[in-house]
Amino acid sequence: MHIPDGFLDAKTAVISAGMAAVGIGIALRSVRRAASARRVPLIGLAAAFVFAAQMLNFPVAGGTSGHLIGAVLVAVLLGPSAAVLAMTAVLVVQCFMFADGGVTALGANVFNMAIVAPGVGYAIYALVRRAAGDSLRSRLLATAFAAWCSTVVAAIVCAGQLALAGTVAWKVAFPAMAGIHMLIAIGEAVITTLVVAAVARARPELLASRPPTSASSHYTELTAYGLLVSLGLVVFVAPFASGWPDGLEKVAAALGFEHRATATPIMAAPLSNYTIPGFQSAVSSTIVAGGVGILVAFVLAYVLARALTPRVDAAHGRGAGGASPCA
Amino acid sequence: MNALEIRHLGYRYPDGTEALRDVSFSVAEGERVGLIGPNGAGKSTLLLHLNGLLPEHPPPEPAARVWGTPVTEPHLAAVRAQVGLLFQDPDDQLFCPTVWEDVAFGPQQLGVRGPELSDRVARALRQVGLADFEERLPHHLSRGEKRRVCLAGLLACEARLLALDEPTSDLDPRGRRELKALLGSLPVAQIIATHDLELVVEICPRVIVLDHGAVVAQGPTVELLNDEALMLSHGLERPHVLRHRHPH
Amino acid sequence: MAAAPEVRPLVHDELLNPYRHGASLIHRLPAPVKLLGAAACVLVSVLLPRTAWPAYAGMGAGLLLVALLSSVPLRYLGRRLLLAEPFAVGVALLALLQDHGLQVFLAMLAKSTLCLSCIILLNSTTRFTDLLQVFRRLRVPALLVVTLALMHRYLFVLVDETARLRRARRSRTFTTGRVFGWGLTATVAAQLFVRTSERAERVYAAMCARGWKL
Repeated sequence: MHIPDGFLDAKTAVISAGMAAVGIGIALRSVRRAASARRVPLIGLAAAFVFAAQMLNFPVAGGTSGHLIGAVLVAVLLGPSAAVLAMTAVLVVQCFMFADGGVTALGANVFNMAIVAPGVGYAIYALVRRAAGDSLRSRLLATAFAAWCSTVVAAIVCAGQLALAGTVAWKVAFPAMAGIHMLIAIGEAVITTLVVAAVARARPELLASRPPTSASSHYTELTAYGLLVSLGLVVFVAPFASGWPDGLEKVAAALGFEHRATATPIMAAPLSNYTIPGFQSAVSSTIVAGGVGILVAFVLAYVLARALTPRVDAAHGRGAGGASPCA
Repeated sequence: MNALEIRHLGYRYPDGTEALRDVSFSVAEGERVGLIGPNGAGKSTLLLHLNGLLPEHPPPEPAARVWGTPVTEPHLAAVRAQVGLLFQDPDDQLFCPTVWEDVAFGPQQLGVRGPELSDRVARALRQVGLADFEERLPHHLSRGEKRRVCLAGLLACEARLLALDEPTSDLDPRGRRELKALLGSLPVAQIIATHDLELVVEICPRVIVLDHGAVVAQGPTVELLNDEALMLSHGLERPHVLRHRHPH
Repeated sequence: MAAAPEVRPLVHDELLNPYRHGASLIHRLPAPVKLLGAAACVLVSVLLPRTAWPAYAGMGAGLLLVALLSSVPLRYLGRRLLLAEPFAVGVALLALLQDHGLQVFLAMLAKSTLCLSCIILLNSTTRFTDLLQVFRRLRVPALLVVTLALMHRYLFVLVDETARLRRARRSRTFTTGRVFGWGLTATVAAQLFVRTSERAERVYAAMCARGWKL
């Protein structure tokens, strides 16, 4: 998912970099506000950990192998802001030391993998945990589902950036990126969950310890990331999403601007003139597949969480009405 | 005035385990003292106290004083500047990207800048015999070299008391020999926690035996280490160098 | 099932690359000059119109000249370029699936090759630690620079630790296959995380011991 140099135009690169800078700013602010000096070396070492963990290949199929991205893993283990900083460091080092991901695309890569991925991942993790309770099983379920969703959303934003830059048409980029990453995300979800389960077994207190921030500042932090990610979706994805133009037209009609709006579309897809048979249906079938994918991922997450939770914990969880022995 | 004065120091880990019990001893200016005892005796825990790293919040009435300065919250900066703590794993202690930056780290925190900083770094590196290592990356150093860079980092802070945790563990014979010579030549007070009893015999005139968090014996090194019964009952043994020496 | 390599050997090769400490004209240039030069070069090649073929060739020649001046072996640079290129080609291939696809594809390829060469050259003649100093001078937030510095420092340590953990795990396991591969990856990663967080505590203590404050 590392975008190389030369694939983004100036507009897309600058917008992405701006949004990445805002995201990093939010993370720096919230780490500084937590004023926990203890966490500073932890964030730096977590970045090195992600880098080392990304080199652990696992076999996929036909001799190919995949590797962890790690954004949700760090977000679950260290919290969202630490994850944003650690992933940013990973991407900067990959860019300047390994020529992995372009310099001009650094902003876009940071936005996708260091802000959208941990941001979306942590939000989903927090939501599922809130709904499913605090037991180990619900945490694993939340982790697996969050890892899957975050990988897919990051890939879709990446496709949107390529389309907005006019490099690859949305009709090509969206099915390709979303399709491939719906599969890659399964690996990400399984490995992330296995790692979290193993850490919970070996050192449960590492999972239990949340950054010592007050509930309200935690809420502010999540809201800030939520707004930023939503803005990203609006800028990079919404112009291409099929439902959007209809909505815009309706609004325009209601306001009486219809003729103007159709004459000069503000954010029309740059490549919307390309009508290649098959690709329009590819977009809609990808959306359908995405819906099915979300369901499958959730079921998979549930099965995984069940399989990885020790029986004692499950029994406790039921018996004590969701109270968790490892909370 | 004694370099270090410890009176009735006790400590429990947050989980309730008792790590130190009523520990009292002192170290004189320029003296080298060996701190020996079996694994888990509390040696490393004791050294962390010298720097105010334990307990998390030092009590108002201190058990340890460094040149008369109590090891308490308001004096921690002064204490840490005087007490140089050498950690067991040099990779934990060498946390900066280059040797120069690492040695400069301590003085920089003390507000030293510009030419004085460069002077201090150069002097400290010369003292440990690594004068032209400034631009090297820590990862490219041997273990012995890493330890010496760590020591340089402490000397650059102008530490007057070194608290060394297993300084010779996992060094090859040459690295160990060089480090021993270096420690023996430094004119600062040292408290050396180690299993390397030969090192203690060779460079520490006095030794403290710690077991189960308590001081079980302290006195002249040769005398205590020759006490077979004392050594064996605390998981230690009489070092070979002493077996071939005739006492008195 | 292809056995996954222990650890990409590439990493150590790149991290410890011997050509970074050369004494050529290019090596001796101040790091800020090299970084800004490389950035400018990347920017120009990105902003060039897609069909500016002569300009691409001119930039390529310029980079070749810098490479020759730096006395870094061209073979080495070529090998690294080939290793980095597949990522770019992968994305560029998507462009083939649309109208004017070939032209877009070739332009992407030219641009990304120029930019990759540029970064690889920068990287082969400049130490990352010097780049960190430049970041500091460019007023990148201190917390981010500290994170980068710590990451760079412990990258080596953790990569070695990963290799050791993996070897230890393999020596005690007698099955192979996909499930094993995933389980192995996860166990090693979990162990690595636990050790990393313990090391972070010790590093924190070492930083405090030398008077560090946030």
